[in-house]
Amino acid sequence: MALLQLDRLTLRFGGLTAVNDVSISVERGQIFAVIGPNGAGKTSVFNAITGLYQPSSGCVRIDGRTVRALPEPADVVRWGLVGLATGLGAAVAINANTLWDAAINQSAHLQPFPWSTSWNALVASALQGPWTTVPLAIGAAIGVGAAWNAWRMGRCTPDAVARAGVARTFQNIRLFRDLSALDNVLVGMDRHLHARGWDAALRLPRHRREERDARETALRELEFVSLGTSAHLPAGSLPYGHQRRLEIARALATRPSLLLLDEPAAGMNPAEATKLMELIKRIRDRGITVVLIEHHMKVVMGISDRIAVLHYGNKIAEGTPAEVRANPQVIEAYLGKEELG
Amino acid sequence: MIPSVLSVASVASVASVARLSAFLLVALLPAIDLLLPTTWKFASLVPAIMVYAIIGLGLNLITGFTGLFNLGSAAFMAIGAYTFAILTCPIYPFQIGFFPGLLAATAMGGIAGLLLSLPVMRLRGDYVAIVTLGFGEIVQDVLKNLDAVTKGTQGLNPVAVPAMPGVSFSVGNYVPWYYLYLVLLIAVVWLCHNLRYSRLGRSWVAVREDELAARSMGLPTPWIKQIAFALGSALCATGGAMFASLAGTSIEPGFYDFQQSVIILCIVIVGGMGNITGVLLGACIMVGFNSIVLTKLTEMMSRNGWTGDNVLASPGNWKFMLYGIALILMMRLRPKGLLPAKEVPAELRYRDRDRDRDKAPAGAN
Repeated sequence: MALLQLDRLTLRFGGLTAVNDVSISVERGQIFAVIGPNGAGKTSVFNAITGLYQPSSGCVRIDGRTVRALPEPADVVRWGLVGLATGLGAAVAINANTLWDAAINQSAHLQPFPWSTSWNALVASALQGPWTTVPLAIGAAIGVGAAWNAWRMGRCTPDAVARAGVARTFQNIRLFRDLSALDNVLVGMDRHLHARGWDAALRLPRHRREERDARETALRELEFVSLGTSAHLPAGSLPYGHQRRLEIARALATRPSLLLLDEPAAGMNPAEATKLMELIKRIRDRGITVVLIEHHMKVVMGISDRIAVLHYGNKIAEGTPAEVRANPQVIEAYLGKEELG
Repeated sequence: MIPSVLSVASVASVASVARLSAFLLVALLPAIDLLLPTTWKFASLVPAIMVYAIIGLGLNLITGFTGLFNLGSAAFMAIGAYTFAILTCPIYPFQIGFFPGLLAATAMGGIAGLLLSLPVMRLRGDYVAIVTLGFGEIVQDVLKNLDAVTKGTQGLNPVAVPAMPGVSFSVGNYVPWYYLYLVLLIAVVWLCHNLRYSRLGRSWVAVREDELAARSMGLPTPWIKQIAFALGSALCATGGAMFASLAGTSIEPGFYDFQQSVIILCIVIVGGMGNITGVLLGACIMVGFNSIVLTKLTEMMSRNGWTGDNVLASPGNWKFMLYGIALILMMRLRPKGLLPAKEVPAELRYRDRDRDRDKAPAGAN
């Protein structure tokens, strides 16, 4: 089965159709390139895959399944609890003075304090009149409404997609600039770490061992993209080409089965581009399927197993590099129509 | 290359020497204070600084690490102080004592923070500030109007003082307070430091730096922000309870107003957002200026008879003018705070190398 499948994907923003009825399927272990002139909708496709945009119609399947973050029972339960807390809170807040007077202030002078009498007085006072039931009912309504809304709004979110095994880089580099290169990679690894907050807060041995192992793995990941020597520099201070590679390392650290690269060779000189091609091949050799958007034709033709061409949101061609290169529609999209006569 | 390595090493050692001597000074201050002439003794005012340092560290988790602008920290201080006061005040039957009261106040602050963070978690920047600002006003009004519970503007008193075998905590003797609060402060610093350099702290900074990228790496960003909010609020509430115990009263609701929140925010900004040492320094500067420098100045002026009808004759009236000027100068000269974040040595190294690289083509031409 195809690892990534776009099934008649359409994205509309107001009156503008950015992606129109595009179907693509990417097999495991492929390097798949999406090319097309500027504004063809390539990045929009990536954003739809990673859950930043919701498809207007059609769907994205990863490993045969549509990713959907919600409805998770936990989230619905959480909103139910919020409603309950609101109701109780409102009931208590409205009656706090009366309740406190009945339960505490009336018998505060007694020694020892009569807890059971006080509790009975509290309950009796709470059951009196509509000021308890009305806020409780309102709270219950809020809780049910919010839980229902959480259910209805259930959609695929970027974190759910990432947890399903899809990692990406961004066209305009989005690193955590104040964190060191190593920490950037460690953030990528986060979903494979298990230490809880209190382990960390008290520096329990479990947490320290996990951190040490994680650091080693992260360092190996940095060495994989030849950034081992820059591990402790802030990401924002790295040169541009290094930042691009660091973003790839961070994405690889999530241990994805599918890696989306958005213009990885942008702004690179020919030597750097050649090294990047090597890197992408090595990523593929690790068993990771790669989908890339690229304008650098040497890179695209050199490494891709298959290429899809987008033009004004429509897929106009798909095939091996040789097929795409020979396709008249593609030539027209890139170079314009030949003038006759 | 060699000079840059040297400068990095010296920066590091200067910092550690400074830190060690600061610690020794703080640890020995009560002894040093004995040697000072009576009019210049000030160590009894220092526990308040430690309390504000803890509150500042709490806000630092929210605003410094996670980048959520919180203008309602005084409200959490109030929640802590009033929870502590209700549970320990002799007019109510609970009277659970100092340490259980402190824990209860912390838990209450955490719960309140968690609840407030639910509507906040999808917001960012200015919007979080507006929500927390509103929350601050609500808490003040609630405390004022729940007079059966909180005694309105009178405040609740007396509240519990710490009870430890062999040590008596009283208003007259500040030394036990000093060391107890110092120990609590060190514990909080240790916790915050551990959290910052853990999985959770990295996620907080990642959310601050680029929430979308963090989310695309699989981090559940709403939940991460909620944890920061809950923990930070819990620490603010701890500080509020400690302050109440030190003052002997929950103080009145009007004390926990917007100005209080701004002072706490200034503590975080002045020292350097997201830097633990910076927050400690900020607390020393902001609260030290207010409760030590201005107090001593007032005493000195009244000793010398420099009083009069002029508004400037009372140093308390200069306070906010000086705060304002200080903030303007800060924002102009050191917008990242007095002590920028820890990445400094690495940045220095980069700048050196960068300069070399920039020079190279010029030389070639």
